[in-house]
Amino acid sequence: MTTRALDPVQRRAIRRRQLNRAGVYALAILIALWILLPIWLIGTMAFSTRSDVYGFPKQMAPIPFTTDTMQFFINQPGILDGTRNSIVVAVLTLALSTLIAAPAGYAISRYVFVGRDAFRLSILAVRAFPIVILAVPLAVTFIEWGMFDKVYSVALMHTALTLPTTILVVSSVFASVPREFEEAAKVFGCNAYQAFMRVVLPLVLPGIAASAIFTFVMSWNEVFAATLLTIRNRTLPALILYQLNKSSLQFQYAGGFFMLVPSLIFIFFIRRYLFNMWGQITK
Amino acid sequence: MAEIRVENAVKTFGKVVAVDHVSLAVREHEFVVLLGPSGCGKTTLLRAIAGLGLVDSGRIMIGDRDVTYLPPKDRNISMVFQSYAIFPHMRVFDNIAFGLKMKRVPKDEIRRRVQSAAELLHIENFLERYPSQMSGGQRQRVAVARAIAVHAEVLLMDEPLSNLDALLRLEMRAELKRLLAELKATTVYVTHDQIEALSMGDRIAVMREGRILQFDSPTTVYDMPADRFVAGFIGTPPMNFLEGQVRQQDGAVRIYIGDYALKPIPEMAGMLARYDGQPIVAGIRAENMEALSQPAEDALKVTVLVVEPLGSQNLLTIRIGADIIKVATHPDFRAAPDQDIWIRFPSDKIRWIDRDSGKTLLPDLDELMA
Amino acid sequence: MKRFRLNLAPYLLILPSFIYLAVFFAWPMVRSLQLAFVRDSPILPVLSEPEDKADVVGHLEMQVDVAVVDRVKRDEVLPNGRTRPVYWFKIASETEDGDLVEGWVHQKNLFIKSRTESDTARVVSGEGAKEWTLDYVKRMVNDYRFREALQTTLLLIVLILPIQFVLAIIMALVLQSQLRGNSLFLYIYAIPLGISDLAAGLVWVTIFTQRGYLNTFLQQLGLIDQPYIFLSAQNRHWMIVAIVLAEVWRATSIVMVIVVSGLQAIPREYLEAGELFGASLWQRLRHITLPLLKPSLQVALILRTILAFQVFAVVVAITGGRVLTVLAYETYRWYDPGDSGFNNPNMAAAYAGFIMLISLAFAVFYLRTVRTQEEAARE
Repeated sequence: MTTRALDPVQRRAIRRRQLNRAGVYALAILIALWILLPIWLIGTMAFSTRSDVYGFPKQMAPIPFTTDTMQFFINQPGILDGTRNSIVVAVLTLALSTLIAAPAGYAISRYVFVGRDAFRLSILAVRAFPIVILAVPLAVTFIEWGMFDKVYSVALMHTALTLPTTILVVSSVFASVPREFEEAAKVFGCNAYQAFMRVVLPLVLPGIAASAIFTFVMSWNEVFAATLLTIRNRTLPALILYQLNKSSLQFQYAGGFFMLVPSLIFIFFIRRYLFNMWGQITK
Repeated sequence: MAEIRVENAVKTFGKVVAVDHVSLAVREHEFVVLLGPSGCGKTTLLRAIAGLGLVDSGRIMIGDRDVTYLPPKDRNISMVFQSYAIFPHMRVFDNIAFGLKMKRVPKDEIRRRVQSAAELLHIENFLERYPSQMSGGQRQRVAVARAIAVHAEVLLMDEPLSNLDALLRLEMRAELKRLLAELKATTVYVTHDQIEALSMGDRIAVMREGRILQFDSPTTVYDMPADRFVAGFIGTPPMNFLEGQVRQQDGAVRIYIGDYALKPIPEMAGMLARYDGQPIVAGIRAENMEALSQPAEDALKVTVLVVEPLGSQNLLTIRIGADIIKVATHPDFRAAPDQDIWIRFPSDKIRWIDRDSGKTLLPDLDELMA
Repeated sequence: MKRFRLNLAPYLLILPSFIYLAVFFAWPMVRSLQLAFVRDSPILPVLSEPEDKADVVGHLEMQVDVAVVDRVKRDEVLPNGRTRPVYWFKIASETEDGDLVEGWVHQKNLFIKSRTESDTARVVSGEGAKEWTLDYVKRMVNDYRFREALQTTLLLIVLILPIQFVLAIIMALVLQSQLRGNSLFLYIYAIPLGISDLAAGLVWVTIFTQRGYLNTFLQQLGLIDQPYIFLSAQNRHWMIVAIVLAEVWRATSIVMVIVVSGLQAIPREYLEAGELFGASLWQRLRHITLPLLKPSLQVALILRTILAFQVFAVVVAITGGRVLTVLAYETYRWYDPGDSGFNNPNMAAAYAGFIMLISLAFAVFYLRTVRTQEEAARE
């Protein structure tokens, strides 16, 4: 930077710019704190001793640190089963949803066919549908079909919920691979299958993986439908919701923290894809 | 009072030096073109003048005000963007009026100025339309109208014609030139199109890798390029380069291209004498050579590789030693591939370029004075 | 003439998802309407003569008490050729609409203490007739918790959405201003995307509960002496505050992501042109960014409104569902066969249908009102 003297107008302009910059940083950090602080607080509770959980005033960090509260939660009857059910449901949902959505997403992004816009539009409309209205009739239908209170019926329900989103995301992922790549592969001797496997698939895999993770998270978090569809084979959120009114603070804090940990990890992995995923959907 | 002075401006993006100690003085009412290939820093320099990107160091003056750190709105400038940046959600009228509204100009004054700007650009019938209802050329006119409506002392243009098709570009080029001459605003115009630069600018600053290589009138830049890059960048086809050897015999300086000897003009002889025994590059434009179908005493015999009839001229590609050059001939000149022809090099049209530095040699003024 | 050749490939590719959505989406939708609008509980036809093929003179609901006016004994031939004695009863009763019905019914449809002596009976079976009915809807609308649930849900929407949109736009603008550490900020701002409504509710319970963090902070600031009980039946407004904060905390990220996507689609030159022609930061936001962002905001608004009508677990976590109720909780309560619920799928379906209807109404309303000036001008 040159050391020449600046006139007051210039100096004011510089100071203003620096202030603006500092202001934006302060704002950014403030918002980050708004999001992180509550997570930190429930985390503190989840790793505090029983007496600290019930104590007042509250401490800002888990000192003394203990896993007793978490252990207490995990050892509650049904929690391990519920966790297992949740994972099974989420994995089933992820697999079903991706397997069914991938061909549809490919068709929407690659082919021009009669009814394409209609299909796309109905997918968009379906996506916006309230879960609530679907869960009640599905539960009744599942009872009629003898599929009530089964882990796989929750997965079927969750697939119905996530499928539209997955189709749209997958189609946007495919759309990001230029058709010319596939055509070039065909010109240089691949058949359609080889062109897909060797050129398109490696390029879309990260995006599809991100969408699959998002599907997993959506299923892991879903509570309303899971609560209606199960009685004995409850998923974790359904179980926690059901026991909420008769549970201790330890159970609630540890349970809340336990449920939100996966999102911290998964969102980290898919953060770059979020905008691609939603950018397309909003069109 | 709106000359622009850029003093020692530096702007880096990470490790890339986009503008490298550039100084530039634009006179009042002057039309200066920043010309260069993409990535040469011309747009960065323009944006620094506009205040859309601050320089890391150096100083920018507009009139007698130091504006280096001022935001754009306090610089009394106006600009036409490459993509026009015509707001799609506003009618043409509101687009043109935008700058005036922001300055809180009274309503009837806005109406008057928008009207006159629109008339200057022949879009007065489109004022109620939205940009999406207009063609590319019309949008371009809106962008120019918006820029001139604010009556700024300095007008900046970032490749304003580059998004138009060839025919429209030709038409707008002439129209813009007329308009700017009328407005008398100090103008800085960025382009990578050398024909645009030659045809429009009062002076051209040729840039490369963040530096200004030459800042001169179009004729000078064309005739007397400052270095090999400028010579090769400007003109269609670009200047030809032939590598030769300087030899001093009996007090006379000759440059040998193979066995053929070129004779420099007297003003250059002294300068070239210093290169005795060393290689030198001769630069000459295609239209400055004379092609003959018969042998002549001072002409070099060459073989034609390619003939390109261009209508107004024939362009011949020929090989001389290791160099491939292009020669423009009269369209009636008959030539075919593999045919032998003879070329004559007028001494006053040859520019001499230092092979290592790439700089064009200038006559030694001291020697001339002596 | 252009020859039309139907390419089957895309149809085969979309077929699985089409079938899946038909079975697990379209069919439940139809079923939902059935549940809400069709009564399929049996009714009993009352006949003019004590014979199976006699004319029907009226219908009776189940569990209606009837007076036995007359009786006849008939022999009925069983499939194996034997006969057994059965009674037909002439009964009289009032229908639901208040009309008097008198006629004959078979003994199998009545519960009667003594076939020969009792002069009252109760209707216990009939034919499985399906009929359209608005009873469930009427019952829902007249339920005292319906109004409350609707009011609370709407109140939450009115409170949450504006805060959410302002915050989301600020977050998106911060992310767009290319700060150092931008990707870290992006990660942090996106975290709530993966947090369930239940977990978010529990997170805010740690803050608002009696021995929670809010009371800790207030006490440390010297504003209170005793922990204040925010989440109690007497403090409904504090419960609302807690729910609003939890929802803003949890669900703003999705709006932020949509807004950032929208911002990324706005060429930078538009904003630069704005800056160059003298628009201040606020003017650029007001005259350039927001108008160009309208389509994205519209999508986000529709999405968020629909989701807000389903707000459920946050409310349960913070209020236990007893003090405050919302539409989704009522749906759950009517369906739930457990100790807190009524095990009535028809009523649950009526609520679900109502949520669907009101969501749809809002979506259409947004699409009609929040349209761009450009569109309006073109008509």
